[in-house]
Amino acid sequence: MSDILSTLAIFWLSALIFYILVHRGLWIFSDVARTMGMFMLEKALGPGIELVEGRSSSAARAWILQSVLWMMIGALFTFEGMWLAHDPTALHSLSAWGYDPTAETLAATGKAVTAFGGISMALIGCGLYILPKLLGTGLASERNGTLVSFLYSVGVFVTLIGSHDPVILGQKVLVIGTAIHVLAITAIVINQLLTVANRAGSIPMPAWLILLGLMAESFNLIAVMSTGMIEDGNGQWLMYRLQGSGFFFLSLSGIVLYASSVGSGNPLWSRTLVGATLLGGLFTLNPFGANHGTLVADLFGLDAGELAMSTNDTVIVTFLMAMASVPVIAFVANAMLTLRDSSSPGAPGLAEINLGLLAMIPVFVGSLFVQTDAVSGTNAISGLSWTIEEMSRWAVMVPLSLGSVIVLYPSITGRQLASTDRARAAFWLMGAAVLLGLMLSLTSSAIDMALLDAGVEDPSSLSHELSVAASVIFYFAVVAMILHSLNMVSGLFRGGIVGEENEVSSSIEVDTYNLASATSVSRILASGAGMETMVVPVGESDEKGSATDL
Amino acid sequence: MTNDDGFLQGDNEPAASKVVIVGALVSALIFMVIYSILYPGQDYPVLSDFETFGSLNGGIWFFLLGAIFGIFTILATMITEATRE
Repeated sequence: MSDILSTLAIFWLSALIFYILVHRGLWIFSDVARTMGMFMLEKALGPGIELVEGRSSSAARAWILQSVLWMMIGALFTFEGMWLAHDPTALHSLSAWGYDPTAETLAATGKAVTAFGGISMALIGCGLYILPKLLGTGLASERNGTLVSFLYSVGVFVTLIGSHDPVILGQKVLVIGTAIHVLAITAIVINQLLTVANRAGSIPMPAWLILLGLMAESFNLIAVMSTGMIEDGNGQWLMYRLQGSGFFFLSLSGIVLYASSVGSGNPLWSRTLVGATLLGGLFTLNPFGANHGTLVADLFGLDAGELAMSTNDTVIVTFLMAMASVPVIAFVANAMLTLRDSSSPGAPGLAEINLGLLAMIPVFVGSLFVQTDAVSGTNAISGLSWTIEEMSRWAVMVPLSLGSVIVLYPSITGRQLASTDRARAAFWLMGAAVLLGLMLSLTSSAIDMALLDAGVEDPSSLSHELSVAASVIFYFAVVAMILHSLNMVSGLFRGGIVGEENEVSSSIEVDTYNLASATSVSRILASGAGMETMVVPVGESDEKGSATDL
Repeated sequence: MTNDDGFLQGDNEPAASKVVIVGALVSALIFMVIYSILYPGQDYPVLSDFETFGSLNGGIWFFLLGAIFGIFTILATMITEATRE
């Protein structure tokens, strides 16, 4: 059996064992283990745990707020990377302060900060809120969840430094960042498993998505370490893919589906499609992201291996990547149909989710082409890979995770956003940045690639102008993230209190509701009706019509 | 608020005060532009003596200044909201 198939088999087996353990009862979570777990999460940390509060949803709040700040910093570094790609000496003046970045280091920093800081923190933060809600219990330790958010942010900051300067004082900085990341994620996993152990009923499907998404990182580590493939270029590429399919795709799906239902007021459209998303996410390889495993090698302090697959392996991974269209389409369809006929279409966050869903399938197709091109060794369109990778991050992952954060913000913080108008303005800015800006970047890359293929040595002025325009337009994403950050920070202090708003809305409860056609109870309630509202069927006549008498 | 001398200060902030601040910032930018028109090729006094600011060139700095302004606005919002009475 090939190494790739062996690694995948261990990954799938780990997921299956975990599912059985949770389904049949977590024997490891006997009372003793549970008490010991709680001790590790709280008392073992000594006075440090007293620094943070343990109110309901405080952990989720800390994670989502930091995620938005990291997204802003990620957007800024991505913008700088795009700018220096066409103007390499633009930041030369900073060398007086010992800071001399290049387009590559800035782009790598933007990538790492956005993925590990922005998107991951948003997914974990929303998961810390959603999972206990779906399981009918509270988070095992709010205090530990809050404290670990700061540890995780320290890890992201170390990664930010390591992306600029991988070795400082003989130490591999990214390895330190990875160690902090693993430590923080372990604490979150224990916290969520203890929450699962305290559940009141069965586990709903979106909860499985979040839970398996969180655990997928551990399965990935077990699988790749046990086969020793982490040293190999193919293994590094596979680990990157499994992280994308497991943690990012599954967690994102669970959170977006939950937020779509909460934001729209509609029930989740299909449970079968959630199942298809879950199984598909686990048993296929998601093509979103980079077409090499260099990032994995850097994070673990290894030498980046060459991506060189046998024909057999190429067939296996290409098939699994093509099959990833099933969970992607199932997820997009389910979320879109849940969002349709929303009772509050203008609610902040829903527009971002819609944007991410609309962009997901086209970006998936583009990513699939780039990945199959890379694994087959053709490398005919590798020039487009950077832009397609940025599109998967900024046109899909960021809008979906950010949209979910915004939708759940009132439930998590207990307050509304400071300004709905500011959120809408930020959405339009981000939409322009990720669609128009990255599309121009893609066009510029395509021109460069065509000239390279034709053997033309002179650079194209049109390509240069397009890349300038792309970087300027992408700056809108930075402004959008600043506006979102301001909106959320201000909302914490000045946003309308959610409970008070409910009391006000109940005071204007409608007395009667005219029922013209079949509708759901949730939609009647959303229109302002209460428990005492009289539902009046509006009469319909089957009599034949006639001319109106004048 | 009032004191024994009869000094008065309202609690509410007029919306027009923001217009004044924005106007002041725009004026400062205009004066900087005028400086470069009146003295083409001349460095800004004092500011340009610093090595980093002396060789500020390229449009990226306009964008970075905007981002830095935004980041400091977020920090200022955090501090003022947290310490507001």
